[in-house]
Amino acid sequence: MQDELNKVNASPENTQEIPSEGAENTSVAEEQLAEAIAEAEAEDSIIRRDAEPALIINDLHITYRTIQAQTIFKTIFKRGSQIKKFEAVKGVTFTVPKGEIVGLIGKNGSGKSTLLKAIANIFKPDSGSIDTCGHTVSLMAIGVGFQKDLSGKENIYLSGMLLGYTKEYVASRYDEIVEFSELGEFIDAPVATYSSGMYSKLAFSITAVLEADIILVDEVLSVGDINFKKKSFARLQEMISQEDKTVLIVSHNNDTIRNLCNRAIWIHNGNFIMDGEANAVVDAYEAYMEAEAEKKKLARKKEAEAIKA
Amino acid sequence: MRLFFSNLKKYKGYLKYAPVSILKTEVANTYLNWLWWFLEPLLFMLTYTFVASLIFNQSLPYFPLFVFIGLNTWNYFDRCVKRGVVMMRHYRGIVTKTYVPKYIFVIVQMALEGIKIAISYLLLIPMMFIWKVPLTWHILESIPLFLVLLILSFAGCSLMLHFGVFISDLEKTVSVVMRLIFYMSGVFYSISRNKTLSKNHPFAKTLLLKVNPISCIMDGLRRCILYGRSPDWLWIGIWAAVGLVFCGLGIHLIHKYEAGYAKIS
Repeated sequence: MQDELNKVNASPENTQEIPSEGAENTSVAEEQLAEAIAEAEAEDSIIRRDAEPALIINDLHITYRTIQAQTIFKTIFKRGSQIKKFEAVKGVTFTVPKGEIVGLIGKNGSGKSTLLKAIANIFKPDSGSIDTCGHTVSLMAIGVGFQKDLSGKENIYLSGMLLGYTKEYVASRYDEIVEFSELGEFIDAPVATYSSGMYSKLAFSITAVLEADIILVDEVLSVGDINFKKKSFARLQEMISQEDKTVLIVSHNNDTIRNLCNRAIWIHNGNFIMDGEANAVVDAYEAYMEAEAEKKKLARKKEAEAIKA
Repeated sequence: MRLFFSNLKKYKGYLKYAPVSILKTEVANTYLNWLWWFLEPLLFMLTYTFVASLIFNQSLPYFPLFVFIGLNTWNYFDRCVKRGVVMMRHYRGIVTKTYVPKYIFVIVQMALEGIKIAISYLLLIPMMFIWKVPLTWHILESIPLFLVLLILSFAGCSLMLHFGVFISDLEKTVSVVMRLIFYMSGVFYSISRNKTLSKNHPFAKTLLLKVNPISCIMDGLRRCILYGRSPDWLWIGIWAAVGLVFCGLGIHLIHKYEAGYAKIS
């Protein structure tokens, strides 16, 4: 891990990202980060490095080509101009052993969800590789992707089959999905008539019941009412307690990462910043975010004073 | 192509289930349910027959059936192509959440429209008895014609799926172009028996009848179902080959660029 961190921190991209956002206050964050990294290294023995790998990410680069759909005239006469590139993931490398629960943290727009979508094969990487070592992968995100005109029942079958399961297998888990979703007789109504809560409950239930070997969880623990949240959390705990399930969780709730994960990876502006024991990485991340908030507060204060003057 | 066929195998469950589910939903939302699959082509046949025979003085043997075959063939191709343009927008909820090879949606759409056209063609059987159309062995020649229609529809739909992602006004453009092709395809008039065209514009007649693949297929279907003659196999063969090339191009473009479809803003 020391080698990995050294490698990442030594690269010009990674050393530039964090300091670029601050001046003198960032040095506080850097100090805290260095302390946290040392702590993470000390606790690194907790993380299972010798287990069979379930997921190998190697030098992954993902660039969004934000292709603005445009008129035929522009397409013909200004070819290529509609494509704007944005590198969301910049050379991330890590390995997840089978049975490990890894939290991905970082501020909004840091590339966490993009990374999960690439692992789920929704986005293809521009370079680098993702090896799921023959395991099945399912992305548990808010809204599996329903056809809104169809009923909840039809969508359970269709989503299950899109996730690669047979109709017979989905049928065998159908009752469990309906029970978990708490939708009752609404399961036969078109999904278009569902409230956002009902929609999310159904989406969560499908991926929670139709488990894959590698489960990717993207901010789904805030779904539904308080009881459903508790139930979802319990279900996730139950899933990850199984030795053979490998889980990657993206959450902005740091307590979720601390409670569920034994390892965390911090990604910042697409760069790999830190990898280690969950509490240590979250501490470092929180310290950095606090310093960032302080810096912004100071900048606003200075700006206000300048306006007054 | 190996990947294409292995994906078809992988998603065969979805391919069987999705069209039937969508059709069930379509009928569940209307009062007359599945009767619309018979009523719609029948009513349009009567409308076009009325307009063409009374206003444009079209008089051909079995003219209502002539219109019926033309309309069904056209509707299948037209719906597949037009749906292709908006397909990624329609399935956006799915493609941003899970990976599915995008031509799977093309095949779902084709199967969906295929079920409707098959039901419509059932109506042709009693109509042939009513109009006393002689049954000949040529009717069997319609099977390869339907295959060519499938090939061309897949090619059109998959290419439109790809370009529809990148070009925002393609939907309106395709709508206008398809309307133009509709009027040039001889859905409710006969290109081959049009005396003005034959006499004054023989080249335009060849263009309309042969260079337009849909009118070529329509003409072939009418010949073998209604008039006991063989289709123009040379042109059908040419269009089958062209269609296969465009199918390959559509599959290639989708394989190459589909990872970017979900990133479109």
